[in-house]
This record gives sequence, structure tokens and C-alpha cells, in this order.
Amino acid sequence: MESSKINVRQLFVLIVLFEHGSAVVIPLGVSAKQDVWISILLSLAIGLLLFFVYRRLFEYYPDQPLTAYLPQIVGAPLGKLLAIVYITYFLYIAARVLRDFGELLLTFAYPETPLFVLNAIMAVTVMYGVYKGIEVLARTGELFLIVLYFLAIIGFVLVFVSGIVDVTQLQPMLEEGWRRVWKTVFTETLYVPFGEMIVFTMLFPYINTPTKVGRAGVVGMVLSGINLALIMAINVAILGPDTVSRSSFPLLDTIRRVQVADFLERLDVFFMITLITGGFFKISIFFYAGIVGAANLFGISSYRRLVYPLGLLILILSVVIASNYAEHIQEGLKIVTFYLHVPLQVIIPVLLLIIAAIRRRFNQPAK
Amino acid sequence: MLFQWGMRRQKKQMNDGVQQEGDDHSGEVADVPQEPMSAELAVNIDIIRRATGESDDVVIRRFSLGQEKQMKAAVVFVDGLVDEKNVYEFLLTPLLTASFPLALEEKERLQWIEQKLAAVGGVKHVADWKLLFCELFSGATVMMIDGTSFAICASTKGGQYRSIEEPQTQIAVRGPREGFTESLRTNTAMIRRRIKNPNLWLETMQIGTVTQTDVAIMYVKGIANDEIIEEVKKRLRRIDIDGVLESGYIEQLIEDQTFTPFPTTYHTERPDIVAANLLEGRVAIFVEGTPFVLVAPALFIQFFQAVEDYYARFDIATALRFLRVLIFFISLVAPAAYIAGTMFHQEMIPTLLVIAIAAQREAVPFPAFVEALIMEVTFEILREAGIRLPRAVGQAVSIVGALVIGQAAVEAGLVSSAMVIVVSITAIASFATPSFAIAISARLIRFALMFLAAMFGFYGIMMGLLVMTIHLCSLRSFGVPYMSPLAPFMPSNMGDTLFRLPTWMFRERPRLISQKNIVRQSGDQKPQQPTPSRQGKGDES
Repeated sequence: MESSKINVRQLFVLIVLFEHGSAVVIPLGVSAKQDVWISILLSLAIGLLLFFVYRRLFEYYPDQPLTAYLPQIVGAPLGKLLAIVYITYFLYIAARVLRDFGELLLTFAYPETPLFVLNAIMAVTVMYGVYKGIEVLARTGELFLIVLYFLAIIGFVLVFVSGIVDVTQLQPMLEEGWRRVWKTVFTETLYVPFGEMIVFTMLFPYINTPTKVGRAGVVGMVLSGINLALIMAINVAILGPDTVSRSSFPLLDTIRRVQVADFLERLDVFFMITLITGGFFKISIFFYAGIVGAANLFGISSYRRLVYPLGLLILILSVVIASNYAEHIQEGLKIVTFYLHVPLQVIIPVLLLIIAAIRRRFNQPAK
Repeated sequence: MLFQWGMRRQKKQMNDGVQQEGDDHSGEVADVPQEPMSAELAVNIDIIRRATGESDDVVIRRFSLGQEKQMKAAVVFVDGLVDEKNVYEFLLTPLLTASFPLALEEKERLQWIEQKLAAVGGVKHVADWKLLFCELFSGATVMMIDGTSFAICASTKGGQYRSIEEPQTQIAVRGPREGFTESLRTNTAMIRRRIKNPNLWLETMQIGTVTQTDVAIMYVKGIANDEIIEEVKKRLRRIDIDGVLESGYIEQLIEDQTFTPFPTTYHTERPDIVAANLLEGRVAIFVEGTPFVLVAPALFIQFFQAVEDYYARFDIATALRFLRVLIFFISLVAPAAYIAGTMFHQEMIPTLLVIAIAAQREAVPFPAFVEALIMEVTFEILREAGIRLPRAVGQAVSIVGALVIGQAAVEAGLVSSAMVIVVSITAIASFATPSFAIAISARLIRFALMFLAAMFGFYGIMMGLLVMTIHLCSLRSFGVPYMSPLAPFMPSNMGDTLFRLPTWMFRERPRLISQKNIVRQSGDQKPQQPTPSRQGKGDES
């Protein structure tokens, strides 16, 4: 395990960047139409409950990542198998986000460039960042969070100044009742981005003040959830619920509508910066969790030796994972959610916590 | 190497009987005789003659001590390194005119001489050849007496140095006008004059096996972090090189990482900057023979702070700092953004502007990237020529530059006038960066970004900047993260980064640099209005 440590503020920054990651650019939870912001906030609430499960597990096994305490909870053979499943899951999601990212760039700015080339540049950057370690990633995050917030503030001001926000688009609220909202929560927004916090169970051991992990997580998630809800609400208010639910990148469409003083228009660069930094941190964190877990599980002295081979792996995986974007999205919404997200983000951690709690209860009198 | 080895063999034969130490470095001071000094004056003089190859500037003057002229003696000094007036007036005259008691023991004799030399500062006994030569070549006058097996070194340093002038590279509108010189002692004295405190400690060592250059480190004990001081000393001690001719040699041998375009130590010509840095807990490294003093550890943000920021009002200083970051950014990405905009992202440029640029570029036979490359390289050539040309030719270059690069190139249809504007703004921006060291990094990275922009447009630029940021965040200067206090973010130190808060708010020193003595001033120094009661009275009357 890497010996370096990050502080609580840096953990908070990483969580915020991770949560925004790709969620801010993709059509997040748009099946809830104009109630999308409600479903995001509800997901945040349930996501926080999941986060408490992850944090509780960490409290039981401080100084250890998820893949290290799995065997201790459910026994060596099953635990190691689960650890391998989790490592594969992290790397697979890293590859998926990389694919998302490449496809976004491809459709919005580089229709002529091969996907592999776009992904390769990102993968090389991610490999470089991960090779430098979690401390460097966290510091880079601190700088970029400032940049992103700066851009976000300018963006908000321009959006409102250009007078395209129509709040009535958000009405009628709960047009089809709570059913549609809850459906969106449990099929989409709970898992991406909030349930993905499971990846941070691999990073908690690097925090120099373990007691404050909970606070950083909660504050980071709440901030991100509110931001995401706000951004999606603005998207709906500008574009209208129907356009948003059909758009591939609602945020891009929103930004393209901005026109101020006849020359401040076409702020695509803003979108691009958000996309690239968000994508970078999301892929890096998944990738880092995957290789740290692998290095830990297989007893490799330095995770750095895995950066190059596994980096190539996620690069190739990101290209061959699906033959086209439609297939990729379909896999993401149908297969990945039910066969990967639900068991790995919700069912297994909850079961683990129950087993760990029982073990603890039965072990304590013996002490 | 073989040649040098051969030379040494020859030399060894010449000094036969004189012991030599076998070391890898040719021409080391270790080549001087290791045997103790002889009691006979003639032998000693002969050894000096041979060791210096009978160099003309080593003056050996024989004379007889005292009015009785009984005792033979000699003084040796290097012409040009000593103050000759001192040597004759305060060293030779007293010894020649005094009456010399003959019946003295060896020790008493020396004491007597030392008393006579009271008018000369710094008198030392030396019995070791290596030390003797070291003293001799740093400007001491060596005095030897027949029948005595050691010499007396009297400090008579002198000779010509450049006088204190205004610094050439870091000019300030407001602030002291003096800059460092090539003399180490003058430089350290300038700092002493600014920080009158016994805690200002100075340590000197000789680095360079051949040159034996004096290198001094200076810090304020109690403010500077002991670990950093130790680290600096450790790295300096590790240096084993034949010569140190400028502080750049030291800089490159002690920096944390060689393979980076960014400077991880700060260098300056201004004593006020060094003094300010010492007060923040940094360590200064002075090198004899150069006006550039190194300051470590250096932070990235430091290169955007000019010394005037602290002398000017805080709001103006803050605005200027933001301007400088903008300048740095422009000098990094301006040509790359032009390339990306014209080659990939025409839709991002306002329509009227894109039409205007397209109309200009119609006659240009090159793609935007080649166009930009031609202009940038031409400009770099011009700048390089401008720096090293004799003054008289300089004007010709500027005329050629202005006409050929500016007007003629556009009229000939080689480049578009928009490109000329971009190159000019980049050039001016890179001149406006307060630190040359960081401007030169930007110059290098600019070309990499241009290539990336030509291949991938804004995506390439963004990825380039992202990699650059990761790299910056991974750097450390003497263990201190290079990007601090921005990353890791330290709110208490943010007052002196991009912002420059009012001086009375600078309560703390940089945390990571000065770790134990953080508080620098009391917290209640906000300038106050006169009390309202007095004002009230004034109104009434």
C-alpha cells in the first residue's frame, strides 16, 4: 500500500470532483422529466444511507481498503473471490467512463477522430496521474476544483443574464405522481453517481484523520447532490423536459443557448473543460482503486508496477466494450445497473455490514 | 581523461618526492605537497614556486626582519587579489622598521610579529600547504620566516570588484536600488545591514575541487525550519564537482527533480527579496563570483510575485498578481489556442471574427500550425539574437524584426495578420512575466501545446495543461509541495498567494516552510481612525 496520506479537505475535493465527474454532462435521471431534480435529491438521501454503510465498514476495519477486509468478513476463499470481483468492477467502470468520455468528445467536437486515439490520450494522462500517486491526484483536484467553480459561477451568471431561464418549464411538478420519480431513483440516479461512492472504501485508509471521513463524505455528497440537482433543473428550465430527455448532453445544449451582448456566445470551451476534468478524476479514482486493490490482493510491493499493464487494459477495454454508442448506453442502463451496481453497491455492502456487526457482537464477549 | 591522467603523471615526476593523493579529480588542490612545511625559508619558497608553476602573479618578496636585518623572511601574495597598499603600509613597514629582538624563541618570535601586525585584521598560523594555498588564493598575504616551520597568513583581501549597481534583471519602480555584486562578502553584508539580528546565521563552505569556490548559506535561526536547513546542507555537502562558476551549477546539483521545465529554486539579484525570504524562513545560498543568490525552498506562486507587491498598496498588488497569472496563461496557450480555433473549432469563434480570420488566411499557403510555428520560431530567433548582440547591431535587428516579421511577412502572404498579433501578444506576455525562470518554462511548454493543438484542438491543449498541472503538483522543493499553499490548500496562507492582503493581516509565515515560528506580527495593527470623541469636538468648535 502506498504510504502517502491525504487530508480531509482533499478527500472532500476528490469526492466532489468524482460525484460531478461525468454526471454533470450526461443526461442524468432524465426519465423523471421535469422532476429530475427531485429524484436526484431523493437519490442523494438514500445515497447518504449507503455511504454510512461504507463508512461503518471502514470504522470496523480502519487502515484497510475494502479488498483487504472482505476476506476477514466472509472468510478467505469467498472474500478473495469477492475482492477480485470488486477490482474487476472498478476497472470495468473505469473503462466504461473512459468510453463515455471518448464518445462525448467524438460526437460533440471530433467526429473525424478515431475513438481509440481520443481515449488513448486520456488513458495516458490518467496513467500518469495515477502513477504519481493519490497525493498528487488530490492536489491536482484542489486546483481544478477552484477552476471548475470559477467556471460554474461565470456560467450561472451568463445563463441567467442571457434571460433564457423559464422556470415554468419545471412545472407541473410531480405530473405523474411519485411513481416516476421513485422509478428513476431506483433504476438510475441512486447508483450513478451516489452509489459509486463504494470506490472510496478503497481510499479511506489514506486519510490522515480517519475520524473525519464521515464529515468529508457527507458534506461532499450533499454539495454535489445539490449542485447536480440545480444544474439539471436549469437544463430543464432552459431546454424544456422533452428536449432534455432526448438530448445526449443537456449541459452542452444549455451552454450553447447562452448569448450575451452579441459576442459572449458558444461557450463550448466551458463544457469541454468540465467534461475533461470531471472525466479525468472519475476515471483516475476508479482506476486507482482497481490497481491498489489488485496490488494489495496479489501482494505486489508497489502498485506502480500495475499502472502500465492495467492502463493498457482499460484503454483496450474501453474501445471493445461495445460496438457502438447505443449499445454502450443500453448496456449501461440495463445490464450494468442490475447485474453490477445493485449487488456490488447495495446488496453486498449491506450484507457485509450485517455479518461484520454480528461477528463483532459475538467476538466481543470473548475478549 | 587519459590526457589529463598523463599530465598528472608528468607533474608527479616533476614534484618527485612530494607525496600526492590518488583521487579521480585531476588538478585538485590535493596535488599540493602533503609534507609539513620546512623550517628553511628557501625550501618553502621553492615549493611555492613549483606548486604555482612560477606564475607571474604570485609575488614573492624576500626581506630581512627588523632594523638589524638579521632574520630572513618573505611575504607571498597574489597580485590583484590583495590590497597592495595594505600589504606595504600595515604589514611590511612595521616589520621592517621595528627593532627585532634576536634572543627570542620560535613561539615568542611569532607572538612578537603578531603584535606588530595588529594593524592588519585576521592573522592566522598555517602549517599545512593545502590551507596555505587556499588562503593565498583568497587574497591573504602569507609571511614566512627562516627557521620557522609555519607561516602567518594575514588577511589583506582587496582588488577590483564591480561596485554595487542597480540590479539588471529585477527592476522595481519602488524599492531599494542596490543589487548584489560578484563579491560574496559584499552580498552577505547587504543582508546583514537589513537584518540586524544575531540569529542571522551564516555558514561558509568550499565547493569545487579545483575552484574551491566559497559557498555560504544564510538563514534566520529560529524562523527557518531546521529540517530544511539540514537538507540544504546535506545536498551541498554531497556536491563533488571540479568547479562552481555560477549559482546555476549549485542549483542544478541540489534541486529535487532534474527532469522538469519548472525551476524549483528561486534566484535573485535583489537583497531586499533575499531578506524578505529569510524572514519567511527560507534559506539563501550565496556563491562567490555571481550576483545571483539562490533561495530555497521555492514555490510556484513565488515566481508570480514581484518585490514591489509588498511595497505597493494591497489592492493594486492583488490586481497585478491576477494580471501576471493571466500573462503566464497567455504566454502558454495563445498560439495553441489560435491553432485550435482556426483548425478545429471554428464554431466556437464568433461568426464575424471567424470570417475575418478566414479572409486573411485565404492567401496564406500554410496550415495554421505551420504558420504559427514559423512565426514563433522566427520570434525566438529574434529574441535570442537580441539578447546576445552587441548594442550597436541591436538596432538593425529591431528594424529587421519589425519590418520583416511584421509588415513584410503579411504583405508577402506568408502569414496572416491575425497570427502576427497572436505572436506579438505572446511575446509581450512572456516578457511581462516577473521571473525569467518561469517565463522560459512557458516558452518551452508553449511549443508542446502547439503540437497538441495541431493534433487535437482544444482537447489537446486541455490534456497538455492537465498533464502540466499533475506534474506541477507532483513537484517538491526541498520537501515542500511546489504548489502549496494552493495545493495542498492552506487557508491561513492564502493571504499572500494570488491575493495580497493588507500588510497588517500578514499574521503568519508560510506554514510548510517555517514550521515552528509561525506568527510574524501582532494581530491588532489595523490602522485606526482618530477616536470619534476628538472628531466630534472638532465639529462642535
